[in-house]
This record gives sequence, C-alpha cells and structure tokens, in this order.
Amino acid sequence: MGAAALRALHWALLLLLGPLLLGQGLQANATRVSEQPWGEAGGITAAPLATAQEVHPLNRQQHNHSSDGHSKPRKAFPVLGIDYSHVRIPFEISLWILLACLMKMGFHVMSSVSKVVPESCLLIVVGLLVGGLIKAVGEKPPILKSDIFFLFLLPPIILDAGYFLPLRQFTENLGTILIFAVVGTLWNAFFLGGLMYAVCQIGGSGLNHIGLLANLLFGSIISAVDPVAVLAVFEEIHINELLHILVFGESLLNDAVTVVLYHLFEEFANFEQVTIIDIILGFLSFFVVSLGGVFVGVIYGLIAAFTSRFTSNIRVIEPLFVFLYSYMAYLSAELFHLSGIMALIASGVVMRPYVEANISHKSHTTIKYFLKMWSSVSETLIFIFLGVSTVAGQHYWNWTFVISTLLFCLIARVLGVLVLTWFINKFRIVKLTPKDQFIIAYGGLRGAIAFSLCYLLDYEHFNMRDMFLTAIITVIFFTVFVQGMTIRPLVDLLAVKKKQETKRSINEEIHTQFLDHLLTGIEDICGHYGHHHWKDKLNRFNKKYVKKCLIAGERSKEPQLIAFYHKMEMKQAIELVESGGLGKIPSTISAVSIQNISPKTLPVERVIPTLSKDKEEEIRKILRSNLQKTRQRLRSYNRHTLVADPYEEAWNQMLLRRQKIRQADHQNAYLTVPANKIDSPTMSRARIGSDPLAYEPKPDSENLPIITIDPASPQSPESVDLPNKVPKGCGGLPPSPEEDEEGLVMRPKEPSSPGTDDVFTPGTGDSPSSQRMLRCLSDPGPRQEPEEGEPFIPKGQ
Amino acid sequence: MGGKKPTGVETKEGITDMLFFFSSVSHSQITRLYSRFTSLDKGENGTLSREDFQRIPELAINPLGDRIINAFFPEGEDQVNFRGFMRTLAHFRPIEDNEKSKDQNGPEPLNSRSNKLHFAFRLYDLDKDDKISRDELLQVLRMMVGVNISDEQLGSIADRTIQEADQDGDCAISFAEFVKVLEKVDVEQKMSIRFLH
Repeated sequence: MGAAALRALHWALLLLLGPLLLGQGLQANATRVSEQPWGEAGGITAAPLATAQEVHPLNRQQHNHSSDGHSKPRKAFPVLGIDYSHVRIPFEISLWILLACLMKMGFHVMSSVSKVVPESCLLIVVGLLVGGLIKAVGEKPPILKSDIFFLFLLPPIILDAGYFLPLRQFTENLGTILIFAVVGTLWNAFFLGGLMYAVCQIGGSGLNHIGLLANLLFGSIISAVDPVAVLAVFEEIHINELLHILVFGESLLNDAVTVVLYHLFEEFANFEQVTIIDIILGFLSFFVVSLGGVFVGVIYGLIAAFTSRFTSNIRVIEPLFVFLYSYMAYLSAELFHLSGIMALIASGVVMRPYVEANISHKSHTTIKYFLKMWSSVSETLIFIFLGVSTVAGQHYWNWTFVISTLLFCLIARVLGVLVLTWFINKFRIVKLTPKDQFIIAYGGLRGAIAFSLCYLLDYEHFNMRDMFLTAIITVIFFTVFVQGMTIRPLVDLLAVKKKQETKRSINEEIHTQFLDHLLTGIEDICGHYGHHHWKDKLNRFNKKYVKKCLIAGERSKEPQLIAFYHKMEMKQAIELVESGGLGKIPSTISAVSIQNISPKTLPVERVIPTLSKDKEEEIRKILRSNLQKTRQRLRSYNRHTLVADPYEEAWNQMLLRRQKIRQADHQNAYLTVPANKIDSPTMSRARIGSDPLAYEPKPDSENLPIITIDPASPQSPESVDLPNKVPKGCGGLPPSPEEDEEGLVMRPKEPSSPGTDDVFTPGTGDSPSSQRMLRCLSDPGPRQEPEEGEPFIPKGQ
Repeated sequence: MGGKKPTGVETKEGITDMLFFFSSVSHSQITRLYSRFTSLDKGENGTLSREDFQRIPELAINPLGDRIINAFFPEGEDQVNFRGFMRTLAHFRPIEDNEKSKDQNGPEPLNSRSNKLHFAFRLYDLDKDDKISRDELLQVLRMMVGVNISDEQLGSIADRTIQEADQDGDCAISFAEFVKVLEKVDVEQKMSIRFLH
C-alpha cells in the first residue's frame, strides 16, 4: 500500500508541477509576447500556444485601435485561445495551495513515515524538492515574501490558537508563561547576540565587520520560539496540557518582545551610539507594544461580541464577523507597529464566550472548521515555502558563524530554562520537575517567523543579510528536523505525562466551581487577595454588566453551570443521532433540560432514556428503513402514514415486550419536551439547524413511540390503553397550530405505579440504578414543513 | 498566641497539629494570620463567633459562605479559637515536595490530597452520613446557580451528576466516588492558597 501510495504521490507531484512549470514559462512568454505581438515564441511553449497568445493581444489591439482598421492581416477567429496572464496569479496560488493539501493527504497515506517524522519535516523536504525542480527547469522559484507571510499565512494560525486557547490553564500559569516569554527571550537575544559578537571579532576577516548591534539584531531575530513550529510538532506528541500551554503560551507572548527588539536594533544599527534615553524608550515601547496590542484586540473582541448579539436573523454570515473582526484587530495592531499576534489572541479570547452564547450551532461548527482548515493550510504552505525559499535564496555559508549560532542557541535555551525554572519554582504551587524543564527547553523550536523577519532586513544597512539568512535557516532546519523528530521518542522514553483525552464531565464542572467558591471564601477569611479573589471579582463583573450587553436575549442570565450542562447534553444528543444508533452511548444519559429562565412558564425537560440492546436493535432497524423514506415523506407528508404498516408491527411487538418489563420494574419517568423558546439559541441549536436530513431521523425516532399511542392502530391492546394515559402524561398538547412548534408538550409525571405512563422501560439487563426513559430529542419537524400541521400529535387528543 | 484564653495547644493533638503546621510555615505568615484573627475578633475574647465571620463582606455574597463558616466550628460549638482557625486553614496549605517522601507512619498531614478532598466533601455532606445524597447535591446546586433556574432542571442536573459518579448504585456519591470523579482535577493546586506556602 505504501508503494502504491508513493507512486500516486509521484504522479500527483508531476501533475501539479507540470502546470506550475508551464505556468512559469507561460508567464515569461506572455510578457514577451504582449510586448511584441509579432515576436517569435520562445521558451517552453509550443507553437500553437504562442500563436494563440499572439492572436489574443492582437484581437484586443484590434478592438482598441479599430480606427487602425485593416492594416493588419486578418486572422481566423480563435475558437480556442489561451490567456494565461489573465488568470496567472490566482491560478498559481491555487496550485500551490492544492499542492500543500495533496501533500498533507499524502502523508497520512504513508502512515509508516509519518509516525517517525513529523509532518513539518516532510513538508520542508517537499518544499526543497519542489524548489529544486523549479530551479532545475531554469525558472526562479518564488521566495516566501515577508508580506505574504505576515499578512496572509500567519494570522489564521494565530487566530486558531487564540480562539481555542484553553483559558483556564493559560491564566493559571500566566506568570510562568510571561516570565519565560519576556525574560527568557531577552536572555536568549542578548546572550546570543553578545556571544556572536565575540565570535565575529575572533572569527577572522569575513566576520569582523559585523557590529555589536547587528549581532544583537540577529540574536533577537533568532531567539524567539516560533508558535507555528511548536504547534506543528507538539500537536502530534500529545503531551500533557501544562507543558503544552507553557511552551505554546511562551511562543505566542514572546512576539511582543521580538517586535520591540527587532525594531529597536534595526533602528540602532544605523546609529553608532546608543544612549540611555534610547534604552529607556525601548523599555517603554515594550509595554506600549504589548499592552497596546492586547488593548486593540480587546476592543475588537468586544465589538465583535456586540455585533453577534444582533445576528439572529442572518445566521449565515455570523462566522464571517468573527474572522473579519479578528483580522482587523491584527491589521490594526500591525498598522501601529504594535504586536499583532497579541491583538489577535486577545480578540479571540475576549469574543469567544459571548459570541458562542449568541451564535447558532451551525455557525459555531463553521467557525471551528474554517479556522482549523485555514490554519492547517497555512501551516502546510509555510513549511513548503520554507523549503522552496531555501533553494531559491542566496546563501552565504560561513562555517564559524553558522556552527556557533547553532551551538549558542541551544546553550542559551537550556541555560535560560534552567535558571528561570529555579526562580519560578519558588512561586509555583505545582513545581516544574526536571523532566518538564527538559521538555520546555527541547521544545524551543524556531520557525518561519525568524526567517521572514530576517528577510525583511534591507541590503544596504545589512549586507551580511545572506549570512544571517543561511544561519537562521540552518537553525530552523536543525530544530525542526532533529528536535522535532526526536522529541516524540524522548517523550516516550522519559514517560512524560500525556494529554488526557476525556471530556470534562458535569461532575468535574460542578465540583470545580464549588472549589472555586470555597477557595474564594477561604481567601476572604484570610484576608488574602489572591488568584481566586480576583477571578471571582471578574466573574461577578462579567455577570453583572458585560454579559447583559453582549449576549442576546435570555442567555445573558444563564449561569455558567447551566450553559455547560446544556452544551454537554446537546453534544451527546448530536452524537447519539449522528452515530445512527442508540447503543453506543452508555447508560449515563439522563435529562436534557432546555433553558427556561423565567419561572412563569412551566419548566419542561426532556429525557434521554437508555434501552436494552434488543430494543435498540429494533429502533435502529426501523430508523434505517425509515431514513430512506424521509425525503419522500417530506413532500407528501401524511400524518397517518407514520402509523402505517411498515413498522407498526415492530412497534407493537416492542410495546408488548415493554409491558412485560414494565411490570417488573417501577421507574420514575419524566416525559417532557421542551417548551417553546424559539429565540433561544439553545432551542434552535436543539433543532440542529435547518438541514432536513440532520433532523429527519429524530422526529421519527422520538415521536414514533408516541405515534403508536395513536388509537388509529387498533391491533394491540396496549395501544388502546395508552391513549388514555397520554392526556394525563401529555397533558398540555397544544391543539392550536400556533403553538405547534412545541411539538409534544408533556408535563413531568409524579412517580407512578408500574405499568402506567412509561412508554419505555429499561430492560432488566440495564443497571439497577434509576434510568431515564423516553428519548425525546429535539423536535424540529413541525416548524419546517408547511404541510405538517401538528404532525405528531396523536389523533383524538 | 494570645494568653487570654486557652488556645487549645495544650492537648497532645493540638501540639502535634500546631508543630506540624507551624514548622513549615514562616514566622511572618503566622503573625499575619494571627493579626487577621484578632482583627476579625471584635469581641476581643480570643475566639471567633459566627457573627465575626459573617461580618466579612465578600463572604456574604459567596454562595457557600455559610457552609464555609460552619466548617470552622467544630461539632456543636459556637466559638473557635486560634488553634481551630489554623487547623481549618491548614487544609489549604500547598503540598510540599519533601512532604511527599516523608514516611507514611505518621498521621497524614492535613493538607494531603485526601484530606483536602475530605474537607470539601464535608461541605457537601451536611448530615455527615458519608454520602452526598441527591438532596444535598440539589441544595448546593441551588446555592451556586441562583434562583432563576427551575427545580426540575436542577433535579435533572443532579440526577445526571449522581449517575455519572455513582458506581455502587446507591444513588448517592460516597467519598471514594467523589475522589474518583476528581482524579483528573489538579486538587493539589486548586485547593491551595499560595500565601500559606
């Protein structure tokens, strides 16, 4: 399989490169041709192409100079023409992106390789190959332009990271992260710069002319840990969250330091003297850059949250708001030379809780997938271009410089981490072990940001730019290849704690909130204004003022616990339906309560029952057979057909079986269905959007049992019985069409004697603890279909 | 410590407690806590009553305020002296690394993970039957969530919570189940106050 995939990959590569090369050639040709329409076609293109190209500009010229008339001989009207220059740029961009995606796909096919080598390495190799090929053909391979990198390739990755930042761990370790980011980067920069200066002085004629400031600039460029590289490598090794957030957080926050140092040294490298005022100004600018970036991000985040409050009627473009506002935050920060990365992170973090409370479920999914998609593609492109640029760029290899850079980078990183951890551990409750320190030091990968920053240097002031570039590329390659490849076996070897994949349970949520309150109280008793105190204050402020402004409707009053609970139930409900069966979710599903804040309207709940295996099989069979018919039913819905023959038999059998089991087991049953809350996003999320196929199964699944209560099916005695009970249980069935979106509204029942209201009873094989009954997932049906009046209300009720 | 009223150090248990607790807390922190104790003690009699605690404004708006206050007072008493005050606070000391390797023969320190969890468990379990029943859970949920949520909703959350945690089928959460549920939560960090370090 691997060989075949390899061959396929080769073909894909050639297939892609062919047009790419052709494109390059054509483009060269087009420029030539457009200048002189009569000129000979040269280069790679075949004759007909050339003539066609000649013809096209000719035709245009003919249009333009119609007055010239027939001075030129008339050519035949081109039925088929090629105008590559017209589409050149989008075409080439698309080809590159396509190449990136195919590469990504290819790596997962060759699973044996991708287990050992991280994806980033493979992508760089591909980039090298592509660059080599382009060069071999004689064309000039494109270099990763800094503009493209900073404006188009970097933001999606950072936004993805910022939007999904695990906030709790981030804030708990913020002090540690800040110290690593700020002090660590400063240390790296100065240590490296200073040592390189020493090396340059000693290093012989080639290096003597590089001044201290130039070296410091070099140090500051290369000292920053790169978020892209860290993400790419750490994503695959799944280490525990603490280490992940430490290294990743450091890579994000050191952007401010890098920006300041870079601009500082770039400016100063031109002056010979650095005064104290300059140093102070530099220090000040650090605060301006970082805090300013955060401020810009927060502003845009709040605006985005506020905008999302009003988007209930234009759900389709909700994701666009998130992306646009974040991107604007990034650009605005870059406009003022503030830290764009921090602005992006801040805006993502700030807008997320409010936006998620406001937008629909589908928009949420869209945002998630678009962000992941863009960041994935960006990352791939960045690594490929790194490879290509290596081939394309001009290099100046100086053994001393490069080797010493590499060496000192490593030494600086290790020393920095050791010293800082020793210092930080004095203040941490959970100390960082030597194992942790090793991973943090080892995870200090450099990447494309360093490359692009160096590329931005202009030649006049920095004529040793090529040497810098070479050294930087070497360090990047070393960290990505050697460190990237070896970190996984090292993690296994050192038995570093891995990430726990399980989701957060409701228990954890409740108890952590409980502990939060407890600790806040204890802190207040001690009179100590610590972490919990301020967090509590912020939460109170948030609840009292901010949420009211930024969250639409009643969700603004929803306590966090309830929101979490709903989200969890929703997820499970969706999983349940999407998995197509009921047997996969274990018996822990209980009630799904839909948000109902105002105590006036009767609170309703719905219950997800658990069923024994054979009942589940029945239901699954019925669902499967039903699913094929859903589309047709959409057109010609007839209330009565739901109780028609195909599955009525099976249902009646099931009812019989249930009766027997019911007698053996009294259970408490809540049969309720949510009250109508059309505007509540929770409710509309419960409808799972407007995708007919997505919700078709559900109406059938939940309401089928109810349907069989319909006295229209006279066969089984039970079904005659049940309707009498239904009004008691389904007391509030809305007769009027306008309440029809409620579907089935039932009241909660009091604990009943055996054999009364339970529509479904769990089998005796289930766990003895009390189980919940009927699965009445959301009932979106009635709303959407005009023909369906009150589809699932049993007749005669 | 104040010499006006007995601070409870006289008993053997008191001495071992204090010695253990104080041996690893710095002098400045003890002084700080003692000054806090005296500032809360408006009656100047060397003990705190419930009213003294309730005078702390932030505690009044804390949903668990009353329960926390009750945790300070031993069974049936209305006054707590400095020893009792410190004893409760000792649960929140961060766990030292060197303590982990201490011999297991002695009594488990108050700030061990198990004792921390036990402290939290006791706040849930008011009737002290070593189980968090559905009602107790409901009470806590009601306090944390406020008045706007209906009983049925809370009930379903409580049911779900118990269902998730319950392993022996008694529809209540025992201490062992409580510990198991929180095994992924970093209790050592969450239930520690840095200032008692």
